Amino acid sequence: MTIIELLEGPLWTASLTIFAVLAIWRLGAILLSGRRRVEARPAGSPSAGAIRLIFGHFIPQKPFRRNGKVWFVTLAGYAFHLGLFAVLFFAAPHITFIHDNLIGLEWAALPRWGFIIAAEFAFIGLLALWIRRFVDPVVRLISRTDDHIVAGLTFLVMLSGCMALAQTVEVLRAIHLGLVEIWLIYFPFSSMMHTFTWPLSRGFTGARAGRRGTRM
Amino acid sequence: MLPYRKKHYTKINELMGITGLPAVRICLMALVAFTILFMSSFPVAAQVSAPDAPYDLGPLGTRGTQSISEMWRDIRHGQGGLVTIDRLESNVLINANGTWWSQLRDKDGALIKYGSILLASILTAVAVYFVVKGQITIDGGRSGRLIPRFSIAQRVVHWTMACVFLLLAFTGLVILFGRPFLIPLLGPKAFGILASAVMQTHNLFGPIFAVSLIALFFSFVRGNFPTWSDLRWLLKGGGLLGGHASAGRYNAGEKTWFWVAVIAGVLISGSGFMLLFPDVIGVRDLLQNAELVHGIAALGFVGFAIGHIYLGTIGTEGTLEGMTTGNVDESWIGTHHDLWLAEIEAKHQGDVK
Repeated sequence: MTIIELLEGPLWTASLTIFAVLAIWRLGAILLSGRRRVEARPAGSPSAGAIRLIFGHFIPQKPFRRNGKVWFVTLAGYAFHLGLFAVLFFAAPHITFIHDNLIGLEWAALPRWGFIIAAEFAFIGLLALWIRRFVDPVVRLISRTDDHIVAGLTFLVMLSGCMALAQTVEVLRAIHLGLVEIWLIYFPFSSMMHTFTWPLSRGFTGARAGRRGTRM
Repeated sequence: MLPYRKKHYTKINELMGITGLPAVRICLMALVAFTILFMSSFPVAAQVSAPDAPYDLGPLGTRGTQSISEMWRDIRHGQGGLVTIDRLESNVLINANGTWWSQLRDKDGALIKYGSILLASILTAVAVYFVVKGQITIDGGRSGRLIPRFSIAQRVVHWTMACVFLLLAFTGLVILFGRPFLIPLLGPKAFGILASAVMQTHNLFGPIFAVSLIALFFSFVRGNFPTWSDLRWLLKGGGLLGGHASAGRYNAGEKTWFWVAVIAGVLISGSGFMLLFPDVIGVRDLLQNAELVHGIAALGFVGFAIGHIYLGTIGTEGTLEGMTTGNVDESWIGTHHDLWLAEIEAKHQGDVK
């Protein structure tokens, strides 16, 4: 068995299983943890508050809009997340891989120029956000080792992917796939879980504010 | 499937009044022959409808047409012909103007030779200076009082640019010097893999460099315009060889680096975009010049960057923290930017009054 066969076969299955089982475990633990019953009469609608916060916080908040010192945080955040989403789900090699190895479904891929632009946005956004963790004294203080591992690993996955863009060198594809598998295994243990938990945290905070009759 | 095919063939043959499989083959061959004849008529038609040759045919040969030697001489010198393909330069068989460029870009050519000498000289000069002079220390030691020098936005822009630049410099140097220096070390197969990886990375990060350059320009342009005090600073050699050279918020060396980075960055980005989209430009001479400009400007950028990295890190005490924490020691300002310190003190006294 060659390295690429190992990476595409047993290692891919193992990493994907670890990712799926542990991510579901963590989500289940959050959902089943329960919460203290609030006896006070609600002053507003918790559901409306939750929905308002879940969707309303896609729009940049006032403190970020008004503060020129951190203007780039909002821009970089959008650039990175939208770019990564587009690269992850609309790059032609990824769609082929998902079709062949995961769900057997395929959809329209981005044209090459669209993929390049999305990747550029993702890279510049990630770099700016990661560098901010080092140079902003407050963000540096609240950044954990995990945050740096997540940023570094994601950067390496993206970099190795861009190195393998020619799709002619198997070694480069193997490096990318190997890093993706490490990334998948680390995912459930890390702050990358916010990919799935953000609606829960926003929804909970929004519902609590809604119940009190306040807005966030 | 086979019985159906046989039956189908038989039906066609019966209709045409011929029997057996070879008959079908004959029909197909006739069809192919007709298609070839039909297609081959297009170039003839194009030549008939094409305008007169825009160039002198030269002396005629014994058959009344252009002689073979003259024709090849024209081709050898890049003379265009008449073709049916409607693409830029597709009528040129041999690009004669590319010879100088090939020689220049060759692994034994001037670009590699002088480029490597330049970078090696700069690295040696920096190393020798550090060994001889050591680190430039803060006069009188640190005061412990910190003064803000760079904002968070400026630092994020600087380090983003730095990361992208380092990645592009590494990949660019592998592309430029890989053949003469790395193939003997790694072997052709491993270098092929590395070359493919660095080429893709270089192409992808190029546009990010251009965006970072714009951000860098607007973040740092304020205070980087030359003043008369810069001339005095330059005449004193920036204090590198001894003595004190007064400077404002940015000294002449920093200003020079800023403008070199901007100008070289614009040249690198502009030529880089041409090389990224060769089909858009299409003119080979322009692309060759673009690659030359790209290489020379990049070598200049890398050369200045070596000096900048040295002076910003181990070369000068207390400089790096300005770009990491955003603050510098008051004594550091007094040592390297005394005119700026005087401005700060004057402003502070004005505020107190």
